[in-house]
Amino acid sequence: MSLGNILRTLALMALALAPCAGRATPAPAPAAATAAPAMAPVQSAPVLATKAGTNSTADHSKFEALKKSFASGPEVTKACLTCHTEAAKQVQKTKHWTWEFMNPDTKQRLGKKHVINNFCTAVPSNYEFCTACHVGYGWKDEKFDFAAQENVDCLVCHDTTGTYRKLPGLAGHPPYKDTEFPPHSGKIVKAPDLGEVARNIGKSSRATCGACHFFGGGGDAVKHGDIDSSLKNPGKYLDVHMAKEGLNFTCGTCHATSGHDVPGSRYAPTATDEKAGAHMRGKKDVNAATCQACHGTRPHPAAMTKLNDHTDKLACQTCHIPEFARGGIATKMSWDWSTAGKLGPDGKPIKIKDSAGRDAYDSKKGDFKYEANVIPEYIWFNGKVNYTLRETKLDPSKIIRINSFEGSANDGKSKVWPIKIFRGKQPFDKVSNTLLIPHTFGNDDSSYWSNFDWNKALEAGQKAAGGEFSGQYGFVSTEMSWPITHMVAPKGDALTCQQCHGVNGRLDKVPGLYMPGRDANPWLDKIGWGIALLTLLGVLGHGSVRILMARKRG
Amino acid sequence: MIKVLIGFVVGVAVIALSIWQMAPSLMFTERVSPFGMDETVARIQHNIQNTGNGWALSGLRNPAKAVQTDGGNVLPVMMIEACSTKYSKPILKDDTLRFLSILMPCKISIYKKNDGKVYIGTMNAGLIGKMFGPMVGETMGHVAEDQKKFLQFDPNTPAPKMILPAAPAAAGASGGSGGGC
Repeated sequence: MSLGNILRTLALMALALAPCAGRATPAPAPAAATAAPAMAPVQSAPVLATKAGTNSTADHSKFEALKKSFASGPEVTKACLTCHTEAAKQVQKTKHWTWEFMNPDTKQRLGKKHVINNFCTAVPSNYEFCTACHVGYGWKDEKFDFAAQENVDCLVCHDTTGTYRKLPGLAGHPPYKDTEFPPHSGKIVKAPDLGEVARNIGKSSRATCGACHFFGGGGDAVKHGDIDSSLKNPGKYLDVHMAKEGLNFTCGTCHATSGHDVPGSRYAPTATDEKAGAHMRGKKDVNAATCQACHGTRPHPAAMTKLNDHTDKLACQTCHIPEFARGGIATKMSWDWSTAGKLGPDGKPIKIKDSAGRDAYDSKKGDFKYEANVIPEYIWFNGKVNYTLRETKLDPSKIIRINSFEGSANDGKSKVWPIKIFRGKQPFDKVSNTLLIPHTFGNDDSSYWSNFDWNKALEAGQKAAGGEFSGQYGFVSTEMSWPITHMVAPKGDALTCQQCHGVNGRLDKVPGLYMPGRDANPWLDKIGWGIALLTLLGVLGHGSVRILMARKRG
Repeated sequence: MIKVLIGFVVGVAVIALSIWQMAPSLMFTERVSPFGMDETVARIQHNIQNTGNGWALSGLRNPAKAVQTDGGNVLPVMMIEACSTKYSKPILKDDTLRFLSILMPCKISIYKKNDGKVYIGTMNAGLIGKMFGPMVGETMGHVAEDQKKFLQFDPNTPAPKMILPAAPAAAGASGGSGGGC
């Protein structure tokens, strides 16, 4: 038995014992400290832990092309391509590779390569750091060769060993030698055995997708709120679909790929699934990753007609994800870049922790706020999203919406959706009134994390992005919205009628809703009561006449 | 005479009904916290430790965790348990009052509601104490005074670190630090 197999067997035993261990976990469960600036180590989901547990027709450890050691990621990819001849070409057409998306409705050029957010702000000038989550090798500047097939990283999505890890600062490469990370932390990240990883590849898993998506925005649970590492092996309470003791869905069960293209998009979300019903995998005209793709548009039992009547105006998520960040990990709710740069008495960067031990202040990044079990905000949403791009002129006296979700009660295309709104303050150019890109990461003199000089950092960031900087900067308040669609609770934990229909209900701030039980039309009320009163009088009158007549007859 | 009697009975009934209605709000108090869950817990814990009079933390429970273990969801609830031997000792020494140990340790509950706000729930120790004679009434009066100090927050002081139990027990149970009672 190889060392790898022994380790996997031990991992399985640990997983088998996990439920017992879970019962004995400490009572207090404060939202844990979550700073994890690096892509997390990939760990295999239980179902994929051994070849015996898969339905694969190929045992990659028997492939001659993989029976050797590899010095780099691209070398592994070349070996993969000897059999999977079309794989890299397929990947290179996807957003995971291009980090580009042209929105057909708004005609805005989006994707990580182009947008600016209110977390780490933007990729240009920070490539080596950000591309730890690119599905490729070597994107360290704007000269990256997007056509080179060997630059595609197969292992990041297909590793099952849990040993493959990419670190920020290596331009998408894994460490090829044992590396101290974070720098000066004393923690050593082992270099993965690329040959061993390649010989044990399998389907993507919650762990492989989560290695990037759980850590979006610079740490665990930072960005989305409904996607964090608690979904790696979630309990039923957290997600009925992904529960390891239940349906045990992987991400790919819903986001079923076709030719490496993963359905589902934050840039052009499917707000209303008109073509709902049994979804034919592989068909490109519909999004396979909607609730309706499996559950249809009348998902409740026929006896619950009234609930089914709600589905034309409410997204499933509105009732069935009552709160997000429910897995015990608090999500970041705000990021204030304007306070960054305060140094300790020794002139070195400082960190201040909050009550739960999370970074509440970091000299490099500013102030943060976190929250667990967050009650979503609710909006009308029809699937159209407009972005404030680098070139968009803004009014700094107002709160700038990084992305605006369109929708209304009357357009016939919108549903009420739960969202997370991430609030922040970030740099803008006082002369051009546009958002600015800071150069944050790097050992050069212009990176903010090296010199804490906004002028140098903004000038370098703008230059790398092909923009201009007047030399005058300020900080503007921004909001960025994220649709909530994961962490689906058991049906017993869906919102109750009273939680919306009662006074101070969940949907109070959603305009254009007439909510029986909460709202009242005074005239309608008067007419109703009038009819009730007349009915009562009629009954009493009729009864009285009958009694009188009966007495008269003797 | 009958009218007077009826009036008396009706009066008693109205008063009894009023007491029935008001008792919960008199015996328990609820207020909104200006802080999030973790910070509220941490600030109260540190206030308890700084109050003196023998007060010590004796546990931190998370009843929501037990619900999660059973596959369900409830909004977060954290219960801080604290006890003062100065106040518990005289009650525990008296055989006729030992049943009041059911009220120990003193609990403060911090929970989130559907409006997204964090609330602090406490027992009205002063009022409840008065129901059990002068000695308990006086002791619980002191407890009530100290309880007020537990909930005095200075927003200008930085958020302290939450104090986690030293010896965790099973889910939903206290990790009793051995402090207090």
